[in-house]
Amino acid sequence: MAALLPVREQASGDGFFATRVDALVNWGRKNSLWPMPLGLSCCGIELMAMIGPKFDIARFGAEAARFSPRQCDLLVVAGTLTWKMAQAARTIYDQMPDPKWVIAMGVCSSSGGMYDSYAVVQGVDSILPVDVYVPGCPPRPDAVIDAILKLQQRIEREQPLKRVFALPEHVIEQGSGAWLRAPNSGVPKSASDLHPHDPRARRAIERREIERQGSGGGKV
Amino acid sequence: MSATAPPLSASAAVLGALEGVKCEVSMGRDGVATVELARELAHDALSRLRDRAGFEQCTLVTAVDHLIDNELGALAHAGARERYEVVWQLLCTTRVLGGRAERVRLRARVSESDARVMSCTDLWPGAAYAERECYDMFGIRFDGHAGLKRLLMPDEYEHHPLRKDFPHEGIEPDKLYRAWDAARRAAEPARDAGQERS
Ligand code: SF4
Repeated sequence: MAALLPVREQASGDGFFATRVDALVNWGRKNSLWPMPLGLSCCGIELMAMIGPKFDIARFGAEAARFSPRQCDLLVVAGTLTWKMAQAARTIYDQMPDPKWVIAMGVCSSSGGMYDSYAVVQGVDSILPVDVYVPGCPPRPDAVIDAILKLQQRIEREQPLKRVFALPEHVIEQGSGAWLRAPNSGVPKSASDLHPHDPRARRAIERREIERQGSGGGKV
Repeated sequence: MSATAPPLSASAAVLGALEGVKCEVSMGRDGVATVELARELAHDALSRLRDRAGFEQCTLVTAVDHLIDNELGALAHAGARERYEVVWQLLCTTRVLGGRAERVRLRARVSESDARVMSCTDLWPGAAYAERECYDMFGIRFDGHAGLKRLLMPDEYEHHPLRKDFPHEGIEPDKLYRAWDAARRAAEPARDAGQERS
């Protein structure tokens, strides 16, 4: 408490107060992320290892895994999300109090992974705003800890006071992940995004090859 | 380790239990007696095998879709059989045949327009899940099943994924999720107000 007193004295003088509160709030938030472990399949095992004593995310203040979404602010989607489970995942996300962040752990939750299947959601970002994607099948616990550190760096740059005082259109929705909601939405898909066994992919590449040769021949 | 030679014919217990039932008994390549019969007789045969031949476990209820065989067959000899085939497999834990606990397999053809058979949950209550999965994946109805719902796919899903005419790339049940999501947003517009701004 004594350390905070000089801050209070300065705050009464000039407009220094707002940024300090932002920093204080961000410091508190980033060092007390409470993960909601949504362990859906094999990645859940790595998540448990990460929370356990060997990798020990208590070092970063994120060890308090709670099984009630009402107490959490970090949703870790660890595993294969099926369409049937999608409603439950979205409900859990909705029940978490703001501000909240989402980590997509493993290729399954990032992109559907090897499950190019009708039953699997091809990337949880189609139903949730994802903040950090962790590649790997499964990612090592260190990789997920790295994701938590990256998230902490993001939280440091947020402006929580703006959310309270600014007009709605000036709010930067960093905390909710809305600005990362569909990071690749503007990027056109290439033919090789199709499944490699899909004959359409091969035909598209062949067609492009023929066009390229055709136009090149025309120039010469 | 030398394997015991596979048995050449169905055991006397199976043949005795099925005495008088119109069916064809053959020996599968895997050494399991295979009984082919009409679907109306299947339930009767199952209960006989349980009560008289001591097959106290029903280990498998599933189906085979012969769509492609039928198409080929129709080309070859202008006459296809019914499209689906329901398969039951029973296990007797007390008798040994060919070095293993004895099993028997029943197969019954079921037509596409009327894909239903009698449920065997009155004989083996544990078959309920297998029948639900079979209904989910092939759309075969089991009459007499107390709660014939889908097992794996969402309840409102309209397709049966293991049918041979189900497209290779699949049909995602995402429409159901989107409908649920839209209803949820309509009910509580305030909740998403912050998130959906971009
Ligand atoms: S990414 Fe790999 S380890 Fe993780 S859930 Fe998917 S299949 Fe399992």
